[in-house]
Amino acid sequence: MTVKEQLPEPSNPLGIDGIEFIEFATSQPQALGTVLQRMGFAPVARHRSREVMLYRQGPMNLIVNAHPDALPGMSAPEATPELKAIALRVRDAAYAWRHALELGAWEMPTRASAMELNIPGIHGVGDSLVYFVDRYKDFSIYDVDFVSLPGAPRNPPAVAGLHYFGVVQSIYGDRTRDWVDFYRHLFGFSVLPEGQYFGVLPKGTLLESPCHKFYLQLIEPPPGSEEIHWEEALVRIGLGAPDVPAATRALKERGVVFVDRGPVQPSEKGALTQVSLGGVTFELVVSHLKP
Amino acid sequence: MNLDHFGMDTITLAGPLEGKLRAVGEAGFTQVMLNANDIAGHPAGAQAAIATVRKSGLRVTGFQVLRDFEGLSGHLHAYKVDIAKAMLEMCHALDSRVLLVCSSTSAHATADFDSLKKDLQKIAMLAVPYGIRIAYEALSWGRHVTEYPQAWDIVAEADRANLGLAIDSFHALATGTGAERLDEIVADRIFLVQLADFMWQEIRSREERINTARHFRVFPGEGVHSAEVAGLVRSLDRMGYRGDYSFEVFNDDYTQLPPPVVAARARRSVKWLTDQVSRRSLPLRGARR
Repeated sequence: MTVKEQLPEPSNPLGIDGIEFIEFATSQPQALGTVLQRMGFAPVARHRSREVMLYRQGPMNLIVNAHPDALPGMSAPEATPELKAIALRVRDAAYAWRHALELGAWEMPTRASAMELNIPGIHGVGDSLVYFVDRYKDFSIYDVDFVSLPGAPRNPPAVAGLHYFGVVQSIYGDRTRDWVDFYRHLFGFSVLPEGQYFGVLPKGTLLESPCHKFYLQLIEPPPGSEEIHWEEALVRIGLGAPDVPAATRALKERGVVFVDRGPVQPSEKGALTQVSLGGVTFELVVSHLKP
Repeated sequence: MNLDHFGMDTITLAGPLEGKLRAVGEAGFTQVMLNANDIAGHPAGAQAAIATVRKSGLRVTGFQVLRDFEGLSGHLHAYKVDIAKAMLEMCHALDSRVLLVCSSTSAHATADFDSLKKDLQKIAMLAVPYGIRIAYEALSWGRHVTEYPQAWDIVAEADRANLGLAIDSFHALATGTGAERLDEIVADRIFLVQLADFMWQEIRSREERINTARHFRVFPGEGVHSAEVAGLVRSLDRMGYRGDYSFEVFNDDYTQLPPPVVAARARRSVKWLTDQVSRRSLPLRGARR
């Protein structure tokens, strides 16, 4: 006889329900747009007043923010695009924001927001932000701020079933426990048991969202890396694929080049794209998630 | 244990920030504990003060001090959160990894354990993005928290990686809290140790504590509780504490002397302390063989 274990569900105080969009900031939106289009994202709308574009692929929304306000310290034309924000779908954005501030989150500076619509947000790692979005079911936040591109499909399909799997965050040495506290107590993330990894980059600490729809991976600098430049930031998007070899093939046909040597070469488990624009990479991860 | 583990507090020294930093560095110290007034009150402004600290080459032990933070509610709490945020930003600008938070003395602060815990969790959360650790210190004239074991109870229960203790020998001596109470504490949750002694045996009233603390502290080895101070440092060393020691010596006489004279006394105190610690530990190691 087996007794069903009564494990308590980790709580989801904010009612997090996946990623609404991820935002890049860049001083070279055209070049980044080319990279994104190779990865299967299609431009679908342009911001009414700012230099901001909305890209979409299947269930994924991706914003490219080239408005000067979003680019402190990125004035050099060749500056590497940076991951600037993650927008979380939540039950009640105003509540989520107040709850986070009550627990010790920093209110974000409003001028940095890509949207004119009032989307509440808080400071994340480095210069990045975490937004809270609750209008994602029967109303699109993009309808307010964006104008559709003429002739562009509204809902371009995903290449090989790609969907958001997670985001990789670099952190300083001995900072894992600090950031685990941050994501656990502000949002309800939980740490996956040591040794449980996905993809081809099994390192750092994996955190699962309370909605079980995406992951965060915290990476401390590798030992002996005192010489390399390392800062705390969001560094890479992980894309889930039900069949990585099929996704890799489809993306190669679109002109994406993968790292093809060493432990990260494409396999059933995952793949890593070569670096573009000085620092932009995508990771493919075999995914059990159902977007 | 060597000189690199010790630093001076700027509050011990007279004159402008530049002279203090020079005296600390020339005495051979590699670190300095900064007071918010050093930065806010700098005649050329905060930015110039920050640049001066960076140029000094001294490592910043920590930044002090956030007072009367925990246990407030409503608009008082909101006000203190604003102050805390401003201090965290200064702390970050100085590359300081530690912000010292003293137990509240406010008559408006509640004694409710959960409220105190929640507020310390909040300041710890505010400090995470900046990589700052919160060192919570039991002030011997605090409203509800006066001894470090009480501070530890809250810190342990709050359970945040960047929330720990500051232990100040003066306050432990003033309340008669013995070093044996360190046994309750995990070494790596002590983020800072501040050292000072004083010249009389006992402090009887709260007023006398405050007065002594603010005007009559001396360096370890100069006061009348030498055995206790040395014992505290020995216990910390034995329990595995490998963090910084800073001399927090508020003394009206020392602020009437040229900083290099006072820094030389601090340097002698390091010698005295390290002798005390090694002298006692050597025979012990011998006995084990």
